[in-house]
Amino acid sequence: MNIFSDIEPFMLRAFAVAVVMGPLCALLGVFVTARRMAFFSDTIAHGALAGIALGFLLGFEDPTWPMVLFSLLVAAAILWLKEHTDLLTDTIMALLLSGSVAFGIIVLSMLKNKRGELHRYLFGDILSVGPDDVWLAVVLCAAIGAWLFTKLSPLALLTASEDLAHVCGVRTRWLNYAFVLVLTVVVSLSIRLLGIILVTSLVVIPPAAARNLARNLRQQIILSLVIGLFGGAAGTVASYHWDIPCGPAIVMACIAVFIGSLLVSKLWLNRPTTA
Amino acid sequence: MTHTTCSHSAADIAVSVRDLRVTLGGQQVLRGVNIHLHRGQLVALIGPNGSGKTTLLRAMVGLQKPDSGDVRLFGESNLKKALPRVGYVPQRLALDRSFILSVREFLALRLRETQHWFWHRHRDTDDRLRAAMAELGAESLLDRPIAALSGGQLQRVLIVFALLKQPDLQLLDEPTAGVDSPGEESFYDLIGEVHRRHKLTVVLVSHDLSMVYRHASWVYALNGVVCCEGTPEHVMSADSLKEAYGLNVTPYQHHGHSHGPGGGTVQ
Ligand SMILES: Nc1ncnc2c1ncn2[C@@H]1O[C@H](COP(=O)(O)OP(=O)(O)OP(=O)(O)O)[C@@H](O)[C@H]1O
Ligand SMILES: [Mg+2]
Repeated sequence: MNIFSDIEPFMLRAFAVAVVMGPLCALLGVFVTARRMAFFSDTIAHGALAGIALGFLLGFEDPTWPMVLFSLLVAAAILWLKEHTDLLTDTIMALLLSGSVAFGIIVLSMLKNKRGELHRYLFGDILSVGPDDVWLAVVLCAAIGAWLFTKLSPLALLTASEDLAHVCGVRTRWLNYAFVLVLTVVVSLSIRLLGIILVTSLVVIPPAAARNLARNLRQQIILSLVIGLFGGAAGTVASYHWDIPCGPAIVMACIAVFIGSLLVSKLWLNRPTTA
Repeated sequence: MTHTTCSHSAADIAVSVRDLRVTLGGQQVLRGVNIHLHRGQLVALIGPNGSGKTTLLRAMVGLQKPDSGDVRLFGESNLKKALPRVGYVPQRLALDRSFILSVREFLALRLRETQHWFWHRHRDTDDRLRAAMAELGAESLLDRPIAALSGGQLQRVLIVFALLKQPDLQLLDEPTAGVDSPGEESFYDLIGEVHRRHKLTVVLVSHDLSMVYRHASWVYALNGVVCCEGTPEHVMSADSLKEAYGLNVTPYQHHGHSHGPGGGTVQ
């Protein structure tokens, strides 16, 4: 294909990852936002920094697995503390977020040759998306996406009411954990693209924009998927075109859609707010 | 206090609760509750606030783990297996207003054949949902977001949700709280009709003793334990009510029409 022939391969890889991660994060985000887990997602993203630092400390060249594992550990810690202490969830998450960041920065600053990595992981770096990352992203996204689609009904019921979901035969405890697991894996794998600081925006902004326009959950899911896809694609293209950082470009593309959706809903649909 | 008068076989037992004990927040909420319901009974559960009615219903569907004791639904001690035959209206449903699920989608989640509701909207399902909502005069709510309903509207939707799969056992925790009186009438008509048509077993928690009096065939008065059970006439005598509520309540008067029992309603 000659339109692709003069595009740098790293750009194509970033594009590929963005167009699978975008919709996947957006789909997850519909439930993340409805279940008020945006801050949770932010906390596990920041937890990844400690995982990255630990990975380097243990001599990993590519700290992807330590990163995912440490994020999972942070997620598990949040759930455990929530169940076994009287602390508020906000407090627990703020504690773990700042703790992981502080730990990560201290370790990275001790590793003299890895100081540059901090910037790359905080803000994302498409140059660091290797061919293996693309495969990992595509395979995982396909698997997780397929799983999510089979679980849409139970997840919707769980989001509406855990008690009713239980009585309708949903294994609520199991589904809660599975959802957290999937969210953690997807968020920590998206860090390559968007960076720790911005990754939550891909989970939060598309469903929020879709929420402005949708009349029901089905519409919100479809719109959110489309917006996530658009944000990922438009952001990487813009990043290439104007030579701007990729993560922020994706976020700005999503924000643009959000502002558009807000204007449409307020001026055109004249939809009364229920929230 | 046992059903010596009834000669039902074991297969006819819908609910059996044996010596159920539940502690919540350091307080013994249920202290050895025994309840045995036969299929087709319409049973009311009454008792003062905090007497453990909601806790008992939650334990019956496995939402509340008992300290000890045994709950069986249709002879099945693995409650998960019995749940497909159970409908439940919780006392309170705190819905997040930011969740945009529509009433139609919410109800469709209840129907097994619409597992893939996300992709399809079956005409059959639509008709069924509209008919079900129309029975409570609520079909105009179908396309509203469920979180944007008023308290009574939500309650109607929850009742429809519970009845939708025609379960064999209905556990209704103050189902008509907040529902206006025409809505309440149609609810009791509906329950009565389903009850007659199928061999539906109903457990109804209510503070409205006049409704209990009119519709229940058997009444349990709960206050940590079952303090009294029997026919409405029996349980709603002054002594029984005093035992259950621990205060003087004017007994419910049977004669005359049932509205405004004057002190017979305990809030
Ligand atoms: N999650 C909880 N933690 C601690 N205590 C609880 C909890 N849930 C209920 N309780 C206590 O258990 C007791 C029984 O509560 P329950 O909700 O079963 O009462 P109820 O009979 O349904 O009352 P009402 O008529 O007000 O609905 C109350 O004293 C209540 O304070
Ligand atoms: Mg109650």
